[in-house]
Amino acid sequence: MTTTAATANPDTHTGITNAKLGVWLFLCSEVMLFATLFTTYIVLRLSATTWPWGWDALNVPLGTLNTAILITSSVTIVMAYARAYDKDLKGFRFWMAATLFLSFAFLVVKGFEYHGEFSKGIWPSTSVFYATYFTLTGLHACHIIGGIIVNSTLLRMSYKKECWEHPLFLGRVEGAGLYWHFVDIVWIFLFPALYLI
Amino acid sequence: MSKASNAEHDAHRPNVKAFMIVFGALLCLTLLTTAVSRMHLEHAAAISVGLLIAVVKASLVAAVFMHLWGEDRLIHRILYAVAFFAVFLVSLPLMDAHLLTPLKTDRAPVASQHPDEGK
Amino acid sequence: MSDAHGAHAHGPTSFWRKYVFSTDHKVIGLQYMITAMVFLMIGFCLMLLMRWQLAWPGAPIPFFGRLFPADLAPNGVMSGEFYNQLGAMHGTIMVFLGIVPFAVGGYGNYVLPLQIGAPDMAFPRLNMASYWLFLVGGVVMLSSFLMPGGAAQSGWTSYPPLAVINPGQTVWLLSMVVIITSSLLGAINFLVTAANMRAPGMTLWRMPVFCWSELVASVLLLLAFPPLEAAAVLELMDRVFHTSFYMPAGLFVLGHPIHVSGGGQPLLWEHLFWFLAHPEVYVLVLPPMGIVAEIIANNTRKPLHGYKTIVWSMIAIGVMSFIVWAHHMFISGMSPALSNFFLVTTMIISVPSVAILTCLIFSLKGGSIRFTTPMLYALAFLPLFGIGGLTGLPLGLTVTDIYLHDTYYVIGHFHFVVVTGSILALLGGTYHWFPKWFGRKMNDTLGKIHFWGSVICMIGVFAPMFPMGLAGASRRLYDPTAQVHNLVVQPLNVVSTVFAYGLFLFQLPFIWNFFHSMFRGEKAEENPWQATTLEWACPSPPPHGNFEKTPHVRRGPYEYSAPGRKTDYWPQGDPA
Repeated sequence: MTTTAATANPDTHTGITNAKLGVWLFLCSEVMLFATLFTTYIVLRLSATTWPWGWDALNVPLGTLNTAILITSSVTIVMAYARAYDKDLKGFRFWMAATLFLSFAFLVVKGFEYHGEFSKGIWPSTSVFYATYFTLTGLHACHIIGGIIVNSTLLRMSYKKECWEHPLFLGRVEGAGLYWHFVDIVWIFLFPALYLI
Repeated sequence: MSKASNAEHDAHRPNVKAFMIVFGALLCLTLLTTAVSRMHLEHAAAISVGLLIAVVKASLVAAVFMHLWGEDRLIHRILYAVAFFAVFLVSLPLMDAHLLTPLKTDRAPVASQHPDEGK
Repeated sequence: MSDAHGAHAHGPTSFWRKYVFSTDHKVIGLQYMITAMVFLMIGFCLMLLMRWQLAWPGAPIPFFGRLFPADLAPNGVMSGEFYNQLGAMHGTIMVFLGIVPFAVGGYGNYVLPLQIGAPDMAFPRLNMASYWLFLVGGVVMLSSFLMPGGAAQSGWTSYPPLAVINPGQTVWLLSMVVIITSSLLGAINFLVTAANMRAPGMTLWRMPVFCWSELVASVLLLLAFPPLEAAAVLELMDRVFHTSFYMPAGLFVLGHPIHVSGGGQPLLWEHLFWFLAHPEVYVLVLPPMGIVAEIIANNTRKPLHGYKTIVWSMIAIGVMSFIVWAHHMFISGMSPALSNFFLVTTMIISVPSVAILTCLIFSLKGGSIRFTTPMLYALAFLPLFGIGGLTGLPLGLTVTDIYLHDTYYVIGHFHFVVVTGSILALLGGTYHWFPKWFGRKMNDTLGKIHFWGSVICMIGVFAPMFPMGLAGASRRLYDPTAQVHNLVVQPLNVVSTVFAYGLFLFQLPFIWNFFHSMFRGEKAEENPWQATTLEWACPSPPPHGNFEKTPHVRRGPYEYSAPGRKTDYWPQGDPA
């Protein structure tokens, strides 16, 4: 429909599909959400009397591993999009499954990290630093779970033949990819902010 | 999609080679930023290096994976607008909490000036 | 988009799909509107209880007093805790569950796609999700009265540390997160619809003012709500997991120290809250302005004065509204240097608001005005909203705000803006678009009774608050007679309360009129007001998919009394 609209009335049409524009607008709101969280982080950190160095307070090797996992998942989902673009069914399913596997791996590693802290008696209420750490990484993990739901839905849909004839399917894969990359970018900032500096 | 638009469509064709280069760069930068952090540089230097590397990594992801490079101008404009508002969201509370703190009214002179205070 | 077409082709069949779990923007719009009206009524009733306590402090509430549990109202006398709950919930319900869903979810959903000539919203299923999230959030919010510890007690602004100590706040925060998510989905939907789904020829500069107002309001919803969502999550962490985002160390409650790690910043919440809540004010005000513009253009039978000025002013308001928020915080202990910045931006943002109002007033000049019921509302909006706006100026200046802050003057100011402004316009819009919604007109006599009664009572409720505030009466007092300096103005509280009950009585003809006319009202044809915009070019009520044939727009939205034409209106979609 969007393509026919593009030919029918170019003067009232942006040329960007509804799904893509919608995802970008959603990401805009997400930018504001995480901007708020980073504001909180900066304000609290500057007003804190002490702020621990990440290597003393957190498990940096696990954090680095998670960064690598998330970066890799960003590549796999963009590969899934590239395969879907060429209407390569099997390739799409392989890369999408890989993405899902990596996102679960991320959550498992995160679980180990949290477990390590809890077993040391560290909770969000321990200090402002840990409150920030648990809340920010927790909200990020919620976004990962959201991405898993979207990606697994797409993977399930791809087993139906007609989805490949559906003009919007590729757009949905693209939108899911955009969201996933955004979640990756958030982690790219969270990682140094909490673990490294 | 009709055949006529195929040529235009190919400009958006996913560039797998670029993805792989960016992937390598991202992994290297991750190791680099962790290594630099391990050195436990002085505060300002550590923050600037960490932030710089994060910005480079995020830009790579946004430009190549999210294909913002060569994206429609409308989306660029939307993002500029959001950046504009986000700058205020971050900077003004920060200015209130810290940057302008020395300008906050000092209690002592107020107490001495006001007849009811300091009695 | 394809969803809209798929549904159009098959047509919804079962009752549930057609009227309850519908993806049709018109059904969702009406669902939003009716739900919001119910919430407005509930919020209003909470206030009626509070007004009793304010006028006759310590007197048992007649009839209803005995219905409340003894810990809330012992012997029918309202307790302080109950008063605080009612106050917090009144504000929250009116703003987040009443006016915003009414103006954006309701009118935006119903009217915007019709006015731009679209068959439906861009994401019909997302639209449905947005409504049901809103309903769930609203019901959760109301249910907090039944929770142990009662509803939220720290105002609609939920300032920490008070809010973190208060048990009712947990439900409040949870429900806010749900409501914000709902309006976020709605905002994305409106923006994509307006960007991509306009009919051929409907260029941006041919969109009616109402569409522009919804567009700007959606941008505000999209970018201003997420900060509150994040801030609410942080406050929730403070409440549930005892973190210290907003909690400084060394707090005592009732003589006992609170065991938190400390190190938090209460002021940060105020910044984040008002970063949302000031744009929010314009979400409350812009769509009603758009409605008034539509009604005025239609009933003066002449083009709107300064269409482009109005639109650019709305955009300017939208941009500026993000950088004025801290004028709510002048006496919070914020940096005075920063106060100056916000003082200046606040004075600047009043300019486009005045420009819009001036354009609307100039639109009346030389028009052959039809005093229909909706027009009465639009005409009353102009001066009364003006009073609301002008009384805000002293609050935007630090010097005067230090005296007026937290007095009844503030309450008078923003109720003039939101009640005699927004709500009046929303009611007027109901009379204006009712024929489109149901194919029947509302009764004119009852409408006029409703109008005159409501306007007089609204003024009677809120005007006394200005002298009360100037006399120094605090807005938060449960018993105003507890402070001697309030005794002088206490009779004004009685006046205000009596008018509030009158306002309630005058809503009854409206409710009867609304539901009676829905089934028995005088039949209305496609275009009963001889209007030009596209929503009047489809049948009343519009069928699923709206337009039988995609309209082609050939001219601007307000071509009234064009020279050389037989009729005094020239619909946007008319072939030349």
